[in-house]
Amino acid sequence: MSRTGGFFRVMQRRLPMVSLDDVSVGKTVRVRDVDGSDPVSIRLLEMGLTPGIDVRLVGRAPFGDPLELELRGYRLSIRRQEATRVVVGDR
Amino acid sequence: MARSAGEADRLTVALLGNPNVGKSTLFTALAGIPTRIGNYPGVTVEEKVGRFTHQGRRIDLIDLPGTYSLSPQSPDERVVIDVLEGRMAGVPRPDCVVIVVDATNIARNLYLATQALELGLPAVVALTLSDVADRRGIRIDTAELGRRLGCPVIRVAATTGEGIAAIRDGMTATSAGPPPAPFALDAAAPGGRSPAARAAIARYAGIERLLDGIVQTAPGPRLTEDAIDAVLTHRVWGTLVFAAVMLAMFTSIFWLATPLMELVSAGMDAVTAFVGDRLPEGPLRSLVVDGVLAGVGGTVVFVPQIAMLFLFVSLLEGCGYLSRAAFLMDRLLVGAGLSGKSFIPLLSSFACAIPGIMAARTIENRRDRLLTILVAPLMSCSARLPVYLLLCGAFVPDRAVGVSWLRLPALVLAGLYALGVVVAAAVACLLSRTIFRGPPQPFVMELPGWRWPRPLVVLERVREAAWSFLANAGTLIVALSVVLWALISYPRNETAIDADVAAVRAGLESRVAAVADPDREELAAELAALDTPAGLDAARRGAAQRQSFLGRAGRFIEPVVRPLGWDWRIGCAAIASFPAREVVLGTLGVIYNLGDVDPGEREGATALERRLKAARWDGTSRPVFTLPVALSIMVFFALCAQCASTLVVIGRETGSWIWPLVTFTYMTVLAWLGAFVVYQVGTALGW
Repeated sequence: MSRTGGFFRVMQRRLPMVSLDDVSVGKTVRVRDVDGSDPVSIRLLEMGLTPGIDVRLVGRAPFGDPLELELRGYRLSIRRQEATRVVVGDR
Repeated sequence: MARSAGEADRLTVALLGNPNVGKSTLFTALAGIPTRIGNYPGVTVEEKVGRFTHQGRRIDLIDLPGTYSLSPQSPDERVVIDVLEGRMAGVPRPDCVVIVVDATNIARNLYLATQALELGLPAVVALTLSDVADRRGIRIDTAELGRRLGCPVIRVAATTGEGIAAIRDGMTATSAGPPPAPFALDAAAPGGRSPAARAAIARYAGIERLLDGIVQTAPGPRLTEDAIDAVLTHRVWGTLVFAAVMLAMFTSIFWLATPLMELVSAGMDAVTAFVGDRLPEGPLRSLVVDGVLAGVGGTVVFVPQIAMLFLFVSLLEGCGYLSRAAFLMDRLLVGAGLSGKSFIPLLSSFACAIPGIMAARTIENRRDRLLTILVAPLMSCSARLPVYLLLCGAFVPDRAVGVSWLRLPALVLAGLYALGVVVAAAVACLLSRTIFRGPPQPFVMELPGWRWPRPLVVLERVREAAWSFLANAGTLIVALSVVLWALISYPRNETAIDADVAAVRAGLESRVAAVADPDREELAAELAALDTPAGLDAARRGAAQRQSFLGRAGRFIEPVVRPLGWDWRIGCAAIASFPAREVVLGTLGVIYNLGDVDPGEREGATALERRLKAARWDGTSRPVFTLPVALSIMVFFALCAQCASTLVVIGRETGSWIWPLVTFTYMTVLAWLGAFVVYQVGTALGW
């Protein structure tokens, strides 16, 4: 591993990554990144969850999963498993 | 392009768009009732074509499946791109594509639209839900959008019919005009990530630039929509409303459809009587009445339930609740390898698996859809209920379990329903982790805005569901009914029948003579009946059935059903019930020389109960029907696939004969194993 890789790991430990699954209901956050390059992450990007966009967590289903999101003026539902791939930060 | 004279004024137009953007409404408004509905060759993606004439040109409008993207991830998306590129067998390359764009959700809709424009086909953009966008304060400069996209953009509103004529004109005008200037989004791809991810991010960046200055949105929350959503997806209120909606739906397919079904049955009975009276007694009448008409009756009787369920599902889909229902139930089904969308098809299967399997059409994900179809017949449908009720009533002792109000027969009945659910969950779990294993399927579902369902679209879906069942499944069900009629009627040997009836009489006489027999009364009645014309006819019918191919098959499979505690007569009845489970009771009636009984009525049921209780193993005084045997029969019927119509519908909905075979095989094996365990354990415990 290069030294920059090690530096990144340290930074990550210091600033824990917040995923869309960690957001509390009603809060609006900004998408930073979508992990991975498999069909799941491509589909998330295609649905408009692209870096820089604002997303509001409208609510969660009765059993806590899936999540209801609002982005780009429409409502989208994704499972927690998919939500953990969406890295978010403050607006 | 060189074309023959006949095709010169014919246009092929493709209708493309995201799901839930008013594409079906637009299709109905443009083309009315589709002229052709089928599957694309080799795939189970629905092909829907409508036809109309505009400005003297015949237009074939192809309704493409709703998709979010043209990067082919699913079979639906592959079909869409194949049709647009003219690579689909039997479908000419479209002369024009109408791209449906939801005005309330323009950025995400332009994702697909810009991909389609890059294909270089003449295009018209239909900006649907424009009236809803107006109300929400979304202003779109359509002229400027059209200029930037390089194609006409037309506002469409279903409620007023605005824009429909302009879309029609646009189709003929753009196809006649010069080829469109090449369209390409001006977007730089960011570094890092995979090419596909870069392309997606770049496309959205391009769309944002394209829309710059064209769209004005009035800021502020959508109060009504937010309020509706807050209640309907709430943990408590949402669940309560959901339960109420599901109860209403289930009640309507279970009980509201019943009077309609009785009406259909009465109509079929009248037709049968009319035809029967006009045909001479003999094989031809038997073929027409017991084969063809019985098959037709067995088909049309399902139509009320199918229509009722599709009415509900289309209403729920039209107003946007279907996705919310899937959202609410997803967590419950995810453990079994299914998704929230499987809930309504599975719930409806408790009334009847046929509308349930057809309702699985609402599941876009093919893997989930197939899995749902495969386990739906395990839900205890209403046809199993008469079997359960008769056997529970006759052979399960009516005693309290723990508390006085909890009776054993009720507990057994509940257990049989639970058995279906548990086994379905286990099978779905197993299949999703074995033969259906694949890359993780994203559950990414749009929750469309609340809106009023379009009555025409709803009625069209109901009509289409009923018609596709009658036309495609119906013919096969009638053919199967004729084959089974032949197996149950032939061979027929009058001398052998006389000998059989004589043997029955001798057997009864010897048993009546034996004072100890507890069922002497029933036996004496059966013996006395042999001297009446009706009783003799019933005995002769029983004898004929025992000698038919079916009766021989029953004897042939006896070694297989013996471990279940069954004699060959029960085996026979089980085979004869292949067309439909409830037939087993009628067959038992005939095979036990009772003639035609209606087990649905008190009188017929008690007569059959008495006769079954009096049944003995051939040549012994050992009763055939004991508690373990009754339980083993019930468990078998809870899990088996004895319903030809269901198997035919599975074949039709999956587009392959493999899946009905798989369903029949796995369910029969499970049914046998379940019955075996129950009988052996019950016997060992001395029940």
